Amino acid sequence: MAWNEPGGNNKDPWGGGGGNRNDGPPDLDELLRKLQQKLNGLFGGGSSSSAPESGGKFPWVPALIVVAVLYGLWGFYQVDANESAVVLRLGKYHSTEGAGLHWNPPIVDHVEKVNVTEVRTERTTGQMLTEDANIVEVVLTVQWHIDDAESYVLRVRDPLKSLQEATDSALRHVVGSASLNGVISQSRTQVSADTQERLQEYLDLYQTGIRIDVVNLTDAKAPREVQDAFDDVTKAREDEVRFRNEAQAYANQVIPVARGRAQRILEEAEAYKTQVVELARGETVRFEKLLQEYQQAPAVTRERLYLDTVQEVMSNTSKVMVDVEGGSNMMYLPLDKLAERSADSSSKRGEKVSPAVIEEVSQRVIERLRSEVNNNRRGGNIR
Amino acid sequence: MNNRTLVIIAALLVALLAISSSAFVIKETEKAVLLRFGEVVRSDYTPGLYFKLPLVHQLRRFDARIQTVDSSPVRMLNSENKFMMVDSYAKYRILDVERHYVATRGDERNAVRLLSEQINDRLRNQFGVRDLHEVVSGQRDELMAEITKNLNEVAKTNLGVEVIDVRVKRIDLPPEVSESVFQRMRAGRELEARDHRAKGEEAAERIRANADRQVVEIESEAYREAEELRGAGDAQAAAIYAGAFSKDPEFYRFTRSLKAYKESFNDRADMLLIEPDSEFFRYLKDAQGQQ
Repeated sequence: MAWNEPGGNNKDPWGGGGGNRNDGPPDLDELLRKLQQKLNGLFGGGSSSSAPESGGKFPWVPALIVVAVLYGLWGFYQVDANESAVVLRLGKYHSTEGAGLHWNPPIVDHVEKVNVTEVRTERTTGQMLTEDANIVEVVLTVQWHIDDAESYVLRVRDPLKSLQEATDSALRHVVGSASLNGVISQSRTQVSADTQERLQEYLDLYQTGIRIDVVNLTDAKAPREVQDAFDDVTKAREDEVRFRNEAQAYANQVIPVARGRAQRILEEAEAYKTQVVELARGETVRFEKLLQEYQQAPAVTRERLYLDTVQEVMSNTSKVMVDVEGGSNMMYLPLDKLAERSADSSSKRGEKVSPAVIEEVSQRVIERLRSEVNNNRRGGNIR
Repeated sequence: MNNRTLVIIAALLVALLAISSSAFVIKETEKAVLLRFGEVVRSDYTPGLYFKLPLVHQLRRFDARIQTVDSSPVRMLNSENKFMMVDSYAKYRILDVERHYVATRGDERNAVRLLSEQINDRLRNQFGVRDLHEVVSGQRDELMAEITKNLNEVAKTNLGVEVIDVRVKRIDLPPEVSESVFQRMRAGRELEARDHRAKGEEAAERIRANADRQVVEIESEAYREAEELRGAGDAQAAAIYAGAFSKDPEFYRFTRSLKAYKESFNDRADMLLIEPDSEFFRYLKDAQGQQ
């Protein structure tokens, strides 16, 4: 072991502590010589000799010294900053040492070093039953460190396995008292916290000396066998929102359009109102003006108006003059024009009238007229 | 003096051998019984250094720490007559090492087997009167405390051990049962999914219907207002007409009739059959207009 390492400044286990601080080879040699002399005195040996066989005497003193030195060196051990050392003296718990260089008598003492700062991770997974008799798949990680080295070393056999078993049990207990939805979504942190509390309780009861830092429910989901059904619920939730949104979009489209149409209806009505009123105003003003003139010369004006109107009517229509009483029978039938006109007007209606049909109609009209004439009846207007 | 030296060395070796075979250390983590020809002579060891007679005495060491009984999963029936696989463990510690030695003949496996049989018996009895829900959900603390207490009475007297804790590690359902659980879960989810979709459709239908209603309302309201407006216009116009035309109704009738003629007969397709005896043809045959 390291003689010139810092840590313990009294590295000379048999130097008595108070004596020679500036140790080194010469000092040690001197000490050895003194020891040898004393021992030789005891064993009745002669002078110091370095060759054991030469004098035929076993060199007790050097041998003992060597053994003592080796034993002394053997007893040194170092404890790192992140470790604790549990010391048993003759099987009995003696002390727990912190970091540094320590010496213990070998054989008599038994030293067990454990790492007390390293945070280790334990992971457990599996399918388990929930309170509502569903099955859930859970992945749980536990971060822990050794808090009490003495317990960890002395109180329980296989603390690590104890931890695993306690984790399994605690987790299943907590999940077994929670609902499926709780484990999967709503109260995952609650599940972690409850598991941590329960697990710590178990570990303390089993005296493992382990302290749980963090319990993480890294994953909690429905088992693979029903995952599709669960996914479908998620999809259904999205569908629900989508249906709503689509309907809202429809509403957002049709209502403004309706408002627009309503506005159009109103505008048209306004327009109509204005139109009829203005028309009325116009007509009445016109009438009144005319009336004034008419009152000036009623007969003439009346005659004029009448003639104007009839002229216009006559000039814009087809006419058949039938004079029954008069000898000069003036029958004027513009058959070609008539055909043209009616062809025009009927073609406007999307029908085709063949000349033959027109011919026939004309023929029938004439015959009917003749028969009426023959019946000595006065012909009225026929439209 | 070579011989003397050798003798001394030999003596030392023998002494060392004697010491090593007679001295022993009991650790903090151990309990032990000292046997003389198979008979227990001492068992109250605390940690420390002790001596025994070689060849006469035998030392049997036991683990004094807390140990685990980890029994393999066992099939159990619950009150619904459904099978489940129950995997449990127990923590125990040797209290009375002499009794423990006698009971197990020093073989720890015997102790473990005995304990796990006892535990499984008790679990079987407890689970047999409970349904799955009761087994799984949170009544387990009391249940386990009861089993532990009950087991201790037997374990202390028969095995010299103290049972600290009994825990169920896991309860698994056999495939056919878990299949039915999966089916139930799936059915539940399908229900939920359907419910969501139906709710969505319902909401959508409401929104659409409401929109349609609003459309009809808006338009009919507009129509009513429009009719009101038209009516007002008509009334106003009628009032205006009446105000003007009542000044000379006869003349109005005359002019209005003329206008009507004008507008009725304004198409070449209209055909008039006329006798020339009207006012209009007054001069057609006779310049004097004598009728």
